[in-house]
Amino acid sequence: MGSEFEHADLPRSGVRFLAFGVITALLFTIIAGRLFQLQVVEGSVRAEQAEAAHAVDVAIPAERGLVFDRLGRPLVVNVPTWTISVRPADLPDGRRVDVLRRVAMVAGVSAADLEDRLDAFSGSPFDLVPLIDDVDRDAALILAEETARLPGIELQVVPRRQYLNERGQVDGTLLANVVGYTGPINREELETLDDEGYLPDDPIGRTGIEAAFESELRGEYGSVRWERDATGRLVKVIEETSQPVAGRNLVLTIDSRLQRIATESLLWGMREANVSQGVTIVMNPQTGEILAMVSLPSYDNNAFAGGISDELYQSYLADPNLPLRNHAIADIYPPGSTFKLVTGLAALEEGVTSPTKRWPTYGCYQIPGAPTGDCLSDWNRQGFGNLNMVEAFAISSDTFFYQMAVHLGVDRLAKWAYELGFGAPTGIDLPSEASGVIASTDWAHSQGRTGVFTGELAQAGIGQNVIAVTPMQLLNAYAALANGGHLMRPQIVLGEADDEGNLVEQFEPEVLHEVAANPANLQTMRIGARQVITTGHAYNISDLRLPGTLSGKTGTAEFGLPDAQGVLPFHSWFVAYVPSRPGATDASLAVLTFTYRATVIGNVSTEVVKYFLQQYFELDQDLRLDPVTLRLLSGGN
Amino acid sequence: MGVAVSTIEVHGSRRWRDFDWQLTLYLLLLIGFGIVLGISAAWNEAGSAGGIPQPVKTVIWTLLGFSLMTVAASVDYHWLRTFAIPIYLFTLGLLVVNLVAGTAISGAQLSVTIAGLDFQFSEISKVLMVVVLAAFLAGRGQRIGRLSTILGAGLLVALPTALVLRQPDLGTALVFVAILGGMLFISGASIGWMALLLGVAVVMTPLALGRLADYQTARLLCFLDPAADPQGACYQLVQALNAVGSGGWLGQGLTAGDANQLGFLPVQTTDFIFTIVAEELGLAGSLILLALFGLLLWRITIIGWRAKDGLGRLVAMGLATMLLFQVVVNIGMVIGLLPVTGIPLPLITYGGSSTVSLLFGMGLVQSVRMRTRTETF
Repeated sequence: MGSEFEHADLPRSGVRFLAFGVITALLFTIIAGRLFQLQVVEGSVRAEQAEAAHAVDVAIPAERGLVFDRLGRPLVVNVPTWTISVRPADLPDGRRVDVLRRVAMVAGVSAADLEDRLDAFSGSPFDLVPLIDDVDRDAALILAEETARLPGIELQVVPRRQYLNERGQVDGTLLANVVGYTGPINREELETLDDEGYLPDDPIGRTGIEAAFESELRGEYGSVRWERDATGRLVKVIEETSQPVAGRNLVLTIDSRLQRIATESLLWGMREANVSQGVTIVMNPQTGEILAMVSLPSYDNNAFAGGISDELYQSYLADPNLPLRNHAIADIYPPGSTFKLVTGLAALEEGVTSPTKRWPTYGCYQIPGAPTGDCLSDWNRQGFGNLNMVEAFAISSDTFFYQMAVHLGVDRLAKWAYELGFGAPTGIDLPSEASGVIASTDWAHSQGRTGVFTGELAQAGIGQNVIAVTPMQLLNAYAALANGGHLMRPQIVLGEADDEGNLVEQFEPEVLHEVAANPANLQTMRIGARQVITTGHAYNISDLRLPGTLSGKTGTAEFGLPDAQGVLPFHSWFVAYVPSRPGATDASLAVLTFTYRATVIGNVSTEVVKYFLQQYFELDQDLRLDPVTLRLLSGGN
Repeated sequence: MGVAVSTIEVHGSRRWRDFDWQLTLYLLLLIGFGIVLGISAAWNEAGSAGGIPQPVKTVIWTLLGFSLMTVAASVDYHWLRTFAIPIYLFTLGLLVVNLVAGTAISGAQLSVTIAGLDFQFSEISKVLMVVVLAAFLAGRGQRIGRLSTILGAGLLVALPTALVLRQPDLGTALVFVAILGGMLFISGASIGWMALLLGVAVVMTPLALGRLADYQTARLLCFLDPAADPQGACYQLVQALNAVGSGGWLGQGLTAGDANQLGFLPVQTTDFIFTIVAEELGLAGSLILLALFGLLLWRITIIGWRAKDGLGRLVAMGLATMLLFQVVVNIGMVIGLLPVTGIPLPLITYGGSSTVSLLFGMGLVQSVRMRTRTETF
């Protein structure tokens, strides 16, 4: 560095010092200005953005509502189950294997499985990863004591639905098709429902009451705002934004003891006649309240509540008798002779016949316009001579009602079918209700046809071929007959209850519409329904010593192909109600039984209803007939 | 030179009366400010993995720094010129060691661990380069206005700059260049030549940009538009800007800043510490800190102006430039005025080497100050 100019010092420049000072002042001023902009001008906006990054809302689940029967018996309750979860961030690296091994040992599962589940998880390390669901209580208690030595492991109590029978036992099969079940929400549903506050894996009603009353049962989730640090860990509660509101408790119109009687009666009949599917519905015709609704075979909805195994679920799906379907409302069948109520009422209302007018009946009814010999038989293949409406209904003459249908024409028949509630859902508060099929010109057009053939029309008159109804629709139509013409909306939920099952708010019965029929004509049909029991072919059911006059209608509907003995399989129906005297509109009990594909000579459904009535009214009679031999099962009395 | 030695012996006791207490006061206030912020930053953190708590470390470093300051003050700064070449070689040696033996801190800043304390040689090298440049420029005498002055000084700075860039430590490299510019300007070098060279540098900028590492490019893009990738590359900047903004007029209070306490600023105790000032102490606290730096710079500039010769003037103003550049670049980065570069905030950012080096430099300034009035007597 040394040089010959070493001692000549540098000049001192005041201008450059001044410039240095000015530049410094300028830079500091810019910084101060920018700070003012950020902190004062944009301050509140930036504070909000910062707050948003630091706060996270965590939902507090609401307790799902309970379900009781009409007498306050619990049918659906919540029970605690234990889930073992792990928060990966709290799991010490070095002890990961030790901790998981201990958990696996206590819970009785494989440690390798736990590691796989943990490895498969891809979210934040501060999220709880469920490792084992439904740990048994003893294992849960052991782990709860050891949590201090098992860092990262957390034990959570998760409520689960438990479905009970009429005696409070864990047995959901009694009412599975009514109550339904819940299942964890899936990813697609979550996308549409997360606006409504659904969380991943939240239970959601899948079918039955659980699905139909999902929003009532679910309640409203609360919310807590937590402070979150940069890594996602929840640090502390900022505020409880809203309290959870428990789901509402429901009281069903079902009397679970009646449900049991109806189920046992139906099971007996199905077993005797070797029938694979059946339905019984019991109803109060005055209010539309459903007292029992049985669809067999049933299924175990508790299996769904605990997370159903794929094996069991597949076996339910593969079962040809469709146990997961509520046959009472979701499936449609030809109603057979029970539909003669519609044909008969329509013929009276439309002036085709009068209550007193007699019509010839035939062994085989020649279809008008069809080639000679193209005829439809009566069920006895001989005819019954000349009959009026009441006689024809009581004896169930097919050729009488063929003529009524043909004279009515398809659209007038359809009009009265609609009037009695067919062809549309009844509006019962259960999912998957079917509408059925009612032949009409419009219906034919919708099928790509120009119209309905006369032969089809005649068969429609006896509830065959182009007519299909749900058991619920059929019972509801007869309930309207029984109550004097009020078509009720079948009611399945009676009201809301407190936690003990005491009714606190009752829902009003709802009239769908008044059947626009002359009361005298309804009375004629009621007299007919009474004569079905007294003079028709309902066997010995009239011998039951009931506190009223049983009225109703049997029905059989052939379908499919004859069996080895040449017998066509048929559906059998029996629908009945019990007024105080013949023709009265005060019946408070109506019952329908449907059995699927019977091949025995007796009407299984009639025997099932008989057995039900014996138990319902606690009669000291047993008039059941063996549906195969038609012989009394017991001594009678 | 011999005169200088005798000066110490003869006038030593008198000179301590000229020790600049104002300068010392500002330094102490800034260091205290830094310690308080450091405590607040660490308030809610789980105890660090053993060892000495950070504030205690800072106090130890500060005591060490003030000792070095006293030593440096007691030595006549003219000796620096005598030992300029060894000092230069020593600086290069340190940077080579740093390059070879250094361990990474967050990608770029490197340090050497001595006796359990991390030491970043790049920090002391900045101060030493001020000394080397001051000696060179003061020696230029009447040739100071020539182009060769600029080229020579540029060459001196080029070597250490290349070494730190290899680490890669862009921040320190920029400080070297800033020191060079500031000292050339004060020394009286040709404004024309400097402007010309600056123009060439600006033209060459695109070439340099192409050589940036990916993370450096990302930082630059975030500076241009923080909304480009608020959850990814720009996360830090966006969080910092929101934290600064949420401070408002008076701040959320010490230890109460959300972004700080919740760890939304991953390096809040290092380069982004100013966000804590802004968030917890608001505009008021930020301006107070800024004012302290302003006073410190003012004091150093006064000492530089009153220095009895070019060497003293350049030592003081070189260190002033270094301080000014670091303060402006660090705060500018936090408030989104400048792109993110790894430059610490002097005396506030944790880091003993930075504090010790700066206090040593301030000792040299004291030395200049203490030897100002002897000339007038």
